[in-house]
Amino acid sequence: METLKMENLKFVIVGHVDHGKSTLIGRLFFDTDSLPEGRMEEIKAICESLGKEVEFAYVMDHLQEERDQGITIDTAQTFFRTKKRQYTIIDAPGHVEFIKNMITGASQAEAAMLIVDVEEGVQEQTRRHAYILSLLGLDQVIVVMNKMDLVNYKKERYKEVKKELLKFLNAIHIKPTYLIPISAKQGDFIAKKTDNLSWFKGPSVLEALDTFHVKESAKKKALRFPVQDVFKYDKRIIVGRIESGTIKVGEKIKILPSGEETIVKSIEEYEKKDVKKAEAGKSTGIVTKDKVFVDRGDVITHTKDLPIITDTIKAHVFWMDKVPFKKPERLLFKCATQEVMCGIEKIERTIDSSTLKLISKDAKEIKNREVADIIIKTEKPVVVENFNNVQELGRFVFQRKDTCAGGIITDV
Amino acid sequence: MIIIFAIDALEYEKVEKFNCENLKQMHYGRTDISEFSQPRTMVLWSSFMTGMNKEKEVLKDGDKEMWDKKWDIKETFFSEFKNPVVLDLPGYSYDKKVHDKSRELLKKFFETEDKKEKDKIRKQYNKDAFEHHRKIKEQFLKAIEEKKEKHELVLGYFSVADVIGHLNFGNTTIMKMIYKELDEIAEQISKKGKLIILSDHGMKALGMFGDHSEYGSWSTNFDTKLKKPKITDFYKLITELKN
Repeated sequence: METLKMENLKFVIVGHVDHGKSTLIGRLFFDTDSLPEGRMEEIKAICESLGKEVEFAYVMDHLQEERDQGITIDTAQTFFRTKKRQYTIIDAPGHVEFIKNMITGASQAEAAMLIVDVEEGVQEQTRRHAYILSLLGLDQVIVVMNKMDLVNYKKERYKEVKKELLKFLNAIHIKPTYLIPISAKQGDFIAKKTDNLSWFKGPSVLEALDTFHVKESAKKKALRFPVQDVFKYDKRIIVGRIESGTIKVGEKIKILPSGEETIVKSIEEYEKKDVKKAEAGKSTGIVTKDKVFVDRGDVITHTKDLPIITDTIKAHVFWMDKVPFKKPERLLFKCATQEVMCGIEKIERTIDSSTLKLISKDAKEIKNREVADIIIKTEKPVVVENFNNVQELGRFVFQRKDTCAGGIITDV
Repeated sequence: MIIIFAIDALEYEKVEKFNCENLKQMHYGRTDISEFSQPRTMVLWSSFMTGMNKEKEVLKDGDKEMWDKKWDIKETFFSEFKNPVVLDLPGYSYDKKVHDKSRELLKKFFETEDKKEKDKIRKQYNKDAFEHHRKIKEQFLKAIEEKKEKHELVLGYFSVADVIGHLNFGNTTIMKMIYKELDEIAEQISKKGKLIILSDHGMKALGMFGDHSEYGSWSTNFDTKLKKPKITDFYKLITELKN
């Protein structure tokens, strides 16, 4: 039960596929004593039996196994703890999944770790993932320079890679909070500050994480309640997840885009009576005083501080489908619970997300892994916001059969 | 040199799942063992080395006694090769003592109700299997590297996936560690000669445990016309390789 009361910070680890993400996760779990008793010993014993060095990456397999067996509560996330708080590592098996989860709100990271193999240096995927972090507005970032053991803990190599990476990060306006040389395999500067890196005077990874702030609750912001469904029993219950703000019984509310107004008659929660309010982050149901027309995709707000209703949106998208977008293709625009067909009216420019080179102005197509500034025209008005104001209504995905791009709204 | 990496209970699905690229050489796939009434280790390896379905012959000895079976070299394709090395293969050079001990421990594991005792047995069982694996691996790699003796064929039989799998197949971490180990061996030997990787059968999950599945798997680092071969088809393939 203690776990539930502890403050929780969600973060994601991104970087090139072979740069040691699994080993780092394994090490974080091991060093914080977050593995079930005997499990690491078993992994160690087998490695020894096979005459190999201990592989922390196998911890990931153990965590996967727990998930397969339904032992962990959340199927997409794993937890470890420090004295200060609990941490959730959000699974990001690939950048497509990561963007999709971040944009659909399935798993919102509050911080990120960008991992770089210091022996191999900055790779294309490193730059691409860094770009995604900047696109998603993540500003609590730790860069971990992994595999320092493979370069004999040489400060010079660390500085070389750091210089190259910072040049790129500056260009995309990411200012990492920390840059830390580590060896996830040997356990240097994860939990312990070891002598191998005595020249480094900064914090360990866990110390750095503990300085981060948990995202401020959105409950004090304006009410945004995207409707997921409407159930008709003896009452007509409008259900959804409150993305921001607080809704209270007796309050006047507005249904967008229709603009109809009514009053909250009751808040319905399973096996609870007399619920007076529901706050951001809560999935809940409401009953209204009047029989208003409301459907999935509508957004409920208060009568002041309203989002924008428009069919023309300026956005920044990351294309992640092998099949490029070509005009005049129609796409499904998904934002919160809204789904509407749209076209891309203009592709103002396309950029290579790893080199930041301008590919084309007034482009005709957007290819895989390219970033583009675009103008979207939806078939009917949607309720949206600028990403910098309210993220929940400021991010969207495009869908063909599967998700093919993710983006943020820059202007409406 | 022809190298045969004979792996008991290598499960095709796990090779795919754990992304074991070296266990999938130039050609690979499942084998068809549907002609046999059950996927039995001794029956399948006997049929492999003789090129004939030996089910009846092996089974008539009885469940326990069949493990004593030893085929004469003249009945196998080994006789076609100069100075062959055949390590631990059931029905030929099998170290019965070691395998009897693991079968005995397995029996004890299922007989006892005591959890602590079960844990103790499991640890010993796994330890023995890994120890034996390392021994065979060492001999196998040594024989492949041996230039003086000019072995035309080296076969190493590895039982670790089967033995460990029976008690731990539901433990993905352990199974992945074993498959990665076998994959590393395949990587080490893949350029040393004409390589055939072959399993008698695969393995399917029975809760946390494992039981034999109704197909095997094969792979070669050279071109073959095999599609879904029977285990007996390898006799011809191997003898033709000599020519």
